[in-house]
Formats: sequence, structure tokens, C-alpha cells
Amino acid sequence: MSTPEPRSHSFDASSILRNAHGNNDPVEPCIKVENLNLFYGKKQALHNVNMEMPKKKVTAYIGPSGCGKSTLLRCINRMNDLVDNVTIEGRILLHDDNIYDKSVNVAALRRRIGMVFQKPNPFPKSIFENVTYGLRIQGINDKRILEETVETSLRGAALWDEVKDRLNDNALGLSGGQQQRLVIARAIAIAPEVLLLDEPASALDPISTLKIEELINELKEKYTIVIVTHNMQQAARVSDYTAFMYMGELIEMGATSQLFTKPTKKQTEDYITGRYG
Amino acid sequence: MSELNNSMTQSSLNTATTSAYEKWRLLKDAIMRRAVVAGGLSVIFAIVVIFFYLLYVVYPLFLPATAERVSQYVIPGENAGKTLLLAVEEQNEIAARFTDTGQVIFFEAKTGKILAQKTVLLPEGSTIVSSAQGTPMREGAIAYGLSNGQVILVKQQYKMTFAGEKRVITPSLSYPMGEKPLVIDESGAAVEKIAFKIGDNSTVIVAKSAKKIHVASFEKEQSLFSDEPTLTRTDSILDISGADISDILVDKEDHNLFLMSNDGLLSYIDISKKNAPEIKQRLNVVKVGDKVTSISFLNGDLSLMIGDSTGLASQWSLVKNPTGGPAFERIRAFKVSEKAVVAISTSEQRRRGFMTVDANGMMGIYHSTSEREMIKTPVSDATPVAAILSPRANALLIQNHDGKIHFWHVDNEHPEVSIKSMWQKVWYESYPKPAYIWQSSSASDDFEPKYSLTPLVFGTLKAAFYAMLVAIPLSLMGAIYTAYFMSPKMRIYAKPAIEIMGALPTVILGFLAGLWLAPFIEENLAGLFALLMIVPLGVMVFAFGIQCLPEPIRLKIPEGWDAALLIPVILISGWFAFSISIPLETALFHGTLRDWFKAELGIGYDQRNALVVGIAMGFAVVPTIFSIAEDAIFSVPKHLTVGSLALGATPWQTMIRVVLLTASPGIFSAIMIGFGRAVGETMIVLMATGNTPVMDLSIFQGLRTLAANIAVEMPETEVDSTHYRVLFLAALVLFMFTFVFNTLAEVIRQRLREKYSSL
Repeated sequence: MSTPEPRSHSFDASSILRNAHGNNDPVEPCIKVENLNLFYGKKQALHNVNMEMPKKKVTAYIGPSGCGKSTLLRCINRMNDLVDNVTIEGRILLHDDNIYDKSVNVAALRRRIGMVFQKPNPFPKSIFENVTYGLRIQGINDKRILEETVETSLRGAALWDEVKDRLNDNALGLSGGQQQRLVIARAIAIAPEVLLLDEPASALDPISTLKIEELINELKEKYTIVIVTHNMQQAARVSDYTAFMYMGELIEMGATSQLFTKPTKKQTEDYITGRYG
Repeated sequence: MSELNNSMTQSSLNTATTSAYEKWRLLKDAIMRRAVVAGGLSVIFAIVVIFFYLLYVVYPLFLPATAERVSQYVIPGENAGKTLLLAVEEQNEIAARFTDTGQVIFFEAKTGKILAQKTVLLPEGSTIVSSAQGTPMREGAIAYGLSNGQVILVKQQYKMTFAGEKRVITPSLSYPMGEKPLVIDESGAAVEKIAFKIGDNSTVIVAKSAKKIHVASFEKEQSLFSDEPTLTRTDSILDISGADISDILVDKEDHNLFLMSNDGLLSYIDISKKNAPEIKQRLNVVKVGDKVTSISFLNGDLSLMIGDSTGLASQWSLVKNPTGGPAFERIRAFKVSEKAVVAISTSEQRRRGFMTVDANGMMGIYHSTSEREMIKTPVSDATPVAAILSPRANALLIQNHDGKIHFWHVDNEHPEVSIKSMWQKVWYESYPKPAYIWQSSSASDDFEPKYSLTPLVFGTLKAAFYAMLVAIPLSLMGAIYTAYFMSPKMRIYAKPAIEIMGALPTVILGFLAGLWLAPFIEENLAGLFALLMIVPLGVMVFAFGIQCLPEPIRLKIPEGWDAALLIPVILISGWFAFSISIPLETALFHGTLRDWFKAELGIGYDQRNALVVGIAMGFAVVPTIFSIAEDAIFSVPKHLTVGSLALGATPWQTMIRVVLLTASPGIFSAIMIGFGRAVGETMIVLMATGNTPVMDLSIFQGLRTLAANIAVEMPETEVDSTHYRVLFLAALVLFMFTFVFNTLAEVIRQRLREKYSSL
């Protein structure tokens, strides 16, 4: 922090995206954040964030605690609407639609942008009912569809073999890692385009964490994934792109390999080398 | 800092080296642990003690009677003639033997020691042909029918004096109708059967002589001008053949006369008009071929106990028919023996109990309404000469063929109550059909207490039901809104405001309900019903209006404060509903809604009714249910609701499918605790229900609950009486009710918690 960075963020994300894999293939952005400012009451939590998240890639947000990475993640499916006294300025585009437009149906939006939280939060229902929850609230009660979805989702979340014989057992009887994969299965059961993972492995043991990470690698073939993590190694392992945030600002974003090896900003370098955070 | 570190490193695992502070800490922990255990145990102990105390008070109700022979002795004054009747005075100290020679021998009931011997003044040359005890039984009057057509009435009297600490009872004989015999049959034919009623102002003698039934009634009238009362005598002869009449009975009101023939034909005659007796009904009380072997009034003279040759003792009572006048009907029967029932003694003076003796000398004591056989024991080898139950039904005097009198002690405290009489329909005397009735006391001695707990349990459940009907929707919806939709700032005010309602003394609620709400609802019944429609309508119109407002104005309403805006809406629409009450009644119901209900639907309206109780007690229960349910809903982990919302559920779907499900154990226990409160609530139901123990589901009828019943009647009941014990039984039932409900609630709650708790 010897030379303070200027607080102007005309950050050209698209140029970085093109370089993600060292070639010039155009990468299709899925979500665009434009000039996003977020206030909790009078306190500003996000400062003019601009970024793009590419389709069917994993984008990781890293940064010290309280830097606003979870807040930013929750803006993407408007979970911050639930918090009192939040004011949001700017736009977030899913493809080309502004999700903060007044005409947006929030429930429909959240069906397209699924989210998995830090703490596994299965409902106190059976495994089957947990996975089918998202379908049932849409009024889908056809048993055949539900059963198919349960199997494909649980397979997709790499949980099927462990629970296929006890689908009617209470989900709370599963281990923490299984619960988290169940929650992922529940999220993918409604076929979202985007999966937001808010520190999905931070409450899990190393073996479960490994499983979740493997799962993320498989899931990115189908979904655009945004993951918030404390763990830089995890970000390095699972993500294609990484965004480093500090004090509510997006400091730097780039292909993961590049950001971890050749950070362009001093703050990023300080953080990834463990000098603060 | 370093000192602290030192002391911390010194505290090792070895207890011998622990510091004083460490010891003090451990000691405190041990003391507190034991105190908590002791507290918990003492609570359980207290509940168990209460339970067993209640059981201890209630338990004698179900004991059978016991009888033991205290003594036997040679018939006192054996030479004074054969026994016609035996009598015992109320204290069971002195008994009397009335002989066929006109001797009255008073003797100690326990030892047979003769205390006094009196001679009834019989006219020259006449002998005693018949004798009878008069009604009412407590007068202790005896009539002798003489061989010359005359009748003489005597009365046994027991004067109680106290010589120091000792009670002395002096027996004597008096002549209530004068020492001169009354002429019943002018022709001088012998009086073969006799019955009479004796009273201060009127006396009726019915006698059979020369195959005719004579009715002689004496009215005593106090003239305004002289001290001497004038006695008017009216005589009549019944238009009925007296040839085969074996028994005559006159009730204590001298309204009804019953003639029983040997072959079981009962004639019921109205003698309230003295000069014109009217035969009301004649019916057979036994099957053809069977014989009536004994007959007696049950205490109160409203029903007859008829013993027959088949060993059946049946109770016949006047039943008011919906068609026609009252008619005699058999309301119950007891199979007391295989042999003929040779004697029925109903000299018990406070209860509907009776004693039977069969031809084998088997004695049984029964209670009619509770249909209980209290005891059955042999008292004699064959038909006894005479058998009498004492007025308080605690002693028995039997003269046997062996020439001895046996004195028995009977312990029969609570025959009135049986499981059947408390929980099933009972056919009481003078009732058209069996019914559930709670009526524990009245001004009259002859009154039979009716202890059916069913109307009370019914009332309790009815009150609780209507209270829950009001409280559950209000409190649960309030809880859902407050916990889940209301803005946190408003919740800070709303929740304590509702909870403080729970601190309101229920006596105030009851008082308001009884004295203000009940008359108000009575006046504004239509308004109340209008309220149920107009307030929701007003809310919806208001909500629609808000939606139609231009956006800038609409967005000024902070989220979660919409409820505050509704307060004036509810007040105004409520006021409007009540203000149109009377015009509405006039326009739609041609008068008042109450009258309309009565006329069109046949639904009566009590001012203090279940509706008032439902509202008042609902008001009392709302804070309880609201507070617990709100806590349960509010404490549903946020990550579950957020998880549901993140899956695209609407807030309402999240509420129904996740929040309520997860909070269900808490909501369930809230409802159960509310229900328990409603069941045990006393002051509100005491003051607002009218305390009418009726079994009527109608919301416009009153009720009486177990708790209110205990509160009303406990202060006026005699300790250890049947009534007292039945009230304790009601308390026990209430206790069991809450115990069973709470246990059940807890079991279900645990189940739910196992299933739905997410933590």
C-alpha cells in the first residue's frame, strides 16, 4: 500500500476475458455488472463495481472479510432485497436484461440464478422433497417428472449413489458435505443458468470440500458459476476467472492463472502473497 | 498480566493443588446443580401430591357400602304382642317396636334395653287390624286401623336434651289428631288397610274397609278472629272396588293416591280435589302370574319402588308425556334376587336409596338413580318379621323368626354417585326421558342432587372450542404477520403490546365480558355479524386503493408498516358495522336478529352465551398463543427462508412450505398451551357464561365449565359430603384433562421437533 491506487475504475473486463486462455477466442459474457453502488443505510458497501462474468465458466471472488464479495454475489439474484435499508444503484445485466428493472419478477429471476449458501440449509423435509421443492413451488407435481429430476439432479450433484436408497429420509440426517451437495442438487433441479456459490465449502471438512470442488468442475460444463471464497487455493483450483475485491471495490479481475501469477495491482499482490487480509 | 498467567499455569488437573478460587467455583457448581435437581424434583413431587390428594378425597365415592352386625338380643317386651312395625330414631340410639296389642316399646337400639313402654289408647272392645307409617316419613307417625271402623294416629317423638356433655334422648308418644279415634267407616267394619299423610294443616287418611276405599281429609284453618283453629273434614268413597287391594299409599303432598292389588294392578288416583278423587291411570306393574310382594315410596314420594315375586325391584315414576298428562312409567329396575322381594324399606330420608330383603333373608342396599348395588349380604335365614333402615341409612334393625332383633351398623356414605350417573344419561324422577343433568342443590330436603359431570365437561370443551375459534386465527395470523412480514421496528412495539394483554387480570376481562360485552352484543348482534363481513371487505378495499395509488406515493409507505395503516381502516369499518346494526335488523329481520333467530330458526338467545365467552376468553388466550407462535416463527433460521427464496419461491410459498413447517412444533405447543389455558380458565367463564349447565352446542346458549363449577359450589358445600367429593372429582377430571392434553401435546411436539427441527 505504499503507492495508493487511484480510485477510478474504468476497468476493462472484456480485454481480460479475451485473454483468459491465452487465446483470442471471444468469450460470451453471461452477467454484466455496471456501475454498481450499494448502500446499507448511509454506509456504502460497494463502490462502482463493473465486471463481466463469462458463460459456463467459474468466476471466483476473493478478498478479505468484509470486502463486499458476498454482498456483490447476493446482488446478482437480488437477495439483498431482503435486507432492510439497502439502496442499490447501477445495473446488473443477465444477458441483456437489467435484473433491477421494475418489471422483473424476482421469483422468476431467482429461478434462473440459483444460489448455494455457506451453511448447508436443507429444508426439514425428505431428501426427495428437498430436491423437488423448486419444482413444486412452480406447480409441477407430476410424479414422473419429479422422480426424473431428483435422479438427474442428485447425480449432477454427485450424491445419487449415496442417497438413492433413502430418498424419503429426512435430509437433516445427512452429513454436512452431503447436505451441501443436496443443496446444490436442489439448486440445479430447477435448471438455472447461473449458480451462485457463497463460500460453499467453508463449513465442510477437507474431504467434503474436495468433493464440492470436483463437483464445481463438473457443473461448469452446464452452468455459469460464481463462487465466493476465502480460500485462495480453492479459488486457484476451481475458477477460470478471479476477481479480487477490497473495501467494496473491485480491484482487479482476470484469468485465474494470470491473477495469481502476475497480478497487475499492488493490492492484489499483497493479498495473494499473504501480506494482509 | 504476568500474575494472571502464573495463576493460570498453576491451576493443574490435580485437585489437591487447586486454588481456593477454583474450589469455590466447583462448590458453587455443585450447589447449583443440586438446587436445580431439588427444584425440579419438588415440582414433580408437588404435582404428584396434588394428584394423590385429589384421589384421596374422591376415592370414597366409589367404595361399596359395608354392614356389620353390632348386636342381637331377645325382642324387648316379648309379651307385649307381635311386632307390627319397627322404627329407629335419627341418632340410631333408640328404637321403637309397635305391637299388635297397641303397645309401643322404646328400647336402646344397641342393647335392647327397654327405656319406656307406652300403651296406645284403644277404644273399648276394639283390636288393631292394620297399621301403617304415615308420610312424610320423618314425622314418625303411625296409624292403627281398628276392628270397629275407627282409626287412631300416634306419633313417636324423641326429645333431645343435654345433661352436661351427655346427650339424652327421651322418647314419648303423642296423638296428633287427638286421643279420640277417628271414625272412618260409619258401619263399623274393620279397617283392613290404611295409609295416611300427616301435616300441620292437612291430614289425609285412606283406609280400606268392607271392600271400599274411604278417603278422609282434614283441613286445619286458622281463623282470623279466634286462636282456635277449625278442622274441616271431607269424606269420600272411591269409585273403585277395594276387594283385592293389598297396599295403599298416599304421597306427602296428598295429591296422589296409589292402590295396589295383589295381582299387580296399580291405580293412580288424583286426590287433590278432596271431595272428587279422580282415577288417572290404571296399569299392570308385573307380568301376568307374578305378584307384587312389596311396595314403598322412594324418598320424596315421587316414585314407587315395587318389589315382585320374581325378585325384581322396579322404580315407577310419573313421567310427563309430551302427549297427554303425566303417566306412570317404569324408569328402571333392579334384579335384586331370584326369590320374591318381601320387603322394601325406603326409610332413608335424604337420598333415593332403598333396602330390599328377599324371601331368603338376603338384604341388599341400592341407590335408585345411580343404579348402584351398594351391598348384598344375608341378614336372616328366611323372611324376616320386620326390617327397617334408619333415617340416615347408617343402621339396620331386623326382627327374625328366631325371636331376636339384630342391630346392624351400615356404612353407606356415597351411594348417589356412580360412573354411570356421572357420565351417562340418567332418568330422574319426573323427567320425560333420561338426561345429563348437573343440579347439585336446592332448598328442599327431598330434592335429589343430580351429579352428571357430562354437561360440565361439555361446557368446558364448548367454551374452550369457541375461545379457540376466536383465538387461533387471530393469534396465528398475527404471529405470522408480525414475525415474518412486519418491519422490525414496528415489531418492537407490536409484540410487547399484544403480550401485555396477557397480563390483564382475567377477572377484569370476565367483568367486562359479563357486564359490558354481553349486553352490547345482545343489542348489536347484527352488527357483530356485519363486522365479520365489513372489516375484511374494508381491508380489501383499502388494499386495492393502495395498489391504485400513483407509484411515488405508494413507495413512500415503508415496507412492513402496512399493518399500521390498517388500524384506522379496521376502526372505521368496525364502527360502521355496529352503526348499521339496528337499521340492518329493522330492514332485514323485521325487529331484532335475536327474535328472528328464535322465530325462524328456533334458536334461543341467552345474554351470556358461548359467543361472549368465545370473544372474552379468546381475548385472554390470544397473547399466549401469539407470543409462543411468534417466537417459533421468528426463530425459524434465516438460512431456510433465504434458501427457499433463492429457489424462486415467493415469500408466501416460503411462509407456507418452509417457515410454518419448521415452526410447527412451536405453533402446535402454542395452540395446546392456549387450549390448556382456555380449559382451566375460571374467572371469565364464571362471569360471562351464565353458568347454566346445559348441553347445547348453540353459540347463543350459556354453559358451565368444570372450573367455574368448582369455584361456584366449593364454598357452599359441606366438607366430606358427596357433593364435596364430586367437586373434587371434577377437579381431578380437570387435572387429568390438562395432564393428558399437555402430555399428548408434548409427545406430539417432540415428534414434530424431531422431524422438522433444522438445527
